[in-house]
Amino acid sequence: MMAVARRTLFRGWVLLAYMVIFAPVVMIVTISFFQQEIVSFPPDGLTLRWYWNAWQRPEFARGFVSSLQIAALATLIGVPIGTAAALALVRSPLPGRGAFNSLLLGPLAVPGVVCGAALYMFYVRAENFLDQDITATLGGLIAAHTLLTIPWTVRLVAASLQGLDRAAEEAAANLGARPFTVFRRITLPMMRPGIVAASMFSFIQSFENLDLTMLLVGPGRSTLPVAMLSYLEFRIDPTLAAVATVQILLVGILMAVTDRFVKLSRVI
Amino acid sequence: MAVLIVPASLLVLGLLVAPMLLMLRISLNQFSPTQMMIEAMSADNYIRAVTDPYYQQVLGTTLGIALLCTLLTLILGFPAAYWLARIESRWKSLITILTLFPLLVGNVVRSAGWMALLGNDGLINATLLWLGIISAPLKLMYTPQAVVIGIIAVVLPYMILTLASVIESIPRSVEEAAANLGARPGTVFRRVVLPLALPGVAAGSILVFVLCMNTYATAILLGGPQFKMMAPAVYDQFIRANNWPFGATLAFILLAITMIFTIVGSIGIARRYKR
Repeated sequence: MMAVARRTLFRGWVLLAYMVIFAPVVMIVTISFFQQEIVSFPPDGLTLRWYWNAWQRPEFARGFVSSLQIAALATLIGVPIGTAAALALVRSPLPGRGAFNSLLLGPLAVPGVVCGAALYMFYVRAENFLDQDITATLGGLIAAHTLLTIPWTVRLVAASLQGLDRAAEEAAANLGARPFTVFRRITLPMMRPGIVAASMFSFIQSFENLDLTMLLVGPGRSTLPVAMLSYLEFRIDPTLAAVATVQILLVGILMAVTDRFVKLSRVI
Repeated sequence: MAVLIVPASLLVLGLLVAPMLLMLRISLNQFSPTQMMIEAMSADNYIRAVTDPYYQQVLGTTLGIALLCTLLTLILGFPAAYWLARIESRWKSLITILTLFPLLVGNVVRSAGWMALLGNDGLINATLLWLGIISAPLKLMYTPQAVVIGIIAVVLPYMILTLASVIESIPRSVEEAAANLGARPGTVFRRVVLPLALPGVAAGSILVFVLCMNTYATAILLGGPQFKMMAPAVYDQFIRANNWPFGATLAFILLAITMIFTIVGSIGIARRYKR
């Protein structure tokens, strides 16, 4: 009896934990299909029109496109330089390796709001100095988000490099392959899981970032999470839920695609 | 090959270290409503931040909420982590990914979900009314409890994944040996599993505590305008008050607390479990 009660309690506790994690995600997807504009239960009926409605709202349409652009470009810039840094950290006789490591993981250790506030003042000072807009521009936001991609890339690519057997590279070199050929044909393919996972994490981190971004947007240029937050300060309705569902779907697709190349459960 | 470190290092130096140094300098300036900022070298802002009752309360709320949420997350997450670590089936990687998934969905989206659950017309109130348990909606939104639930949901995946990776490294045979020698399940947990999982408990708690300290979206959306934590207070100084020196000061205090907990915690773990 005791054993049964204990097992039931344990299972209930585990279930409760996962319910707390999933309840808000399931909820937001559900209400995006509700017929009535003011959320209430049970729904009057189900519809897809809020998805169209969300796309018609300029702040969401523009925010979505901006967030895609920023995340894609920040990943394209950040992952190569982060990968290069990971190679240097793991493979070269680097003086002060520990210090470089802490420096490159820094953007993860500093709270987003703190980092955003510092960048905001830095950008405004630079604007006065250069007489050119930086805050609320695509360039300014991409630069800030590139910073976010560095620690993830360094960490994931360095981890994939550490486990590498160097014998294959030495064999290729002994057989006459030039250093660049060894890198392109042997090292790079072996690093691929780390790079793929780093790209996914970088893209998603950038796409959903709020804390760092908040102070750096303006009327000219905003991002999807910032647009959602300003909308939510007034109301929660199916239109917003539709936007959130699109973001959930995007993250889900990216994770599923990445998982086909690398076993995500082993990367994290 | 060592030069490959240069681009990334320059980026972090230029966009993180330099702005932080500028912020430190600005936090020593003084605010003026007319000129915005007067160059100075004073600790006045720091003294104001720790003596002003309003900011003492903001800091107190933030620390209290962070400690409470960390403790509750640990209690709620440990069994789930143990379960995840001990699954022996092909579902294991799927469940790991599903645990990671909400974490990557973003805080704004998850807070929105809680708004739909906890609101006056939300699912919880609607269900309780329909069942006849209550006759008027309960006020669940814009309360500290709503913020606590929202934060726990945000940080729980971090705790589960951190704990699970440590519990996985505990050989099952150790537990079986204790059980064979007559230890009851409660004793096995208390005397065997928990002590061996302590590095994970420490690492997970530090990570979660820091995340709780920096909560922004959850505090704003579920706590309402009256509920103030540190991150929204920093933001307000820049957007509403336009007081850069004081905003910089609050940001530095938040950073300092985060850093102290992270560093002291990591040194503690390293010293105790050095191999």
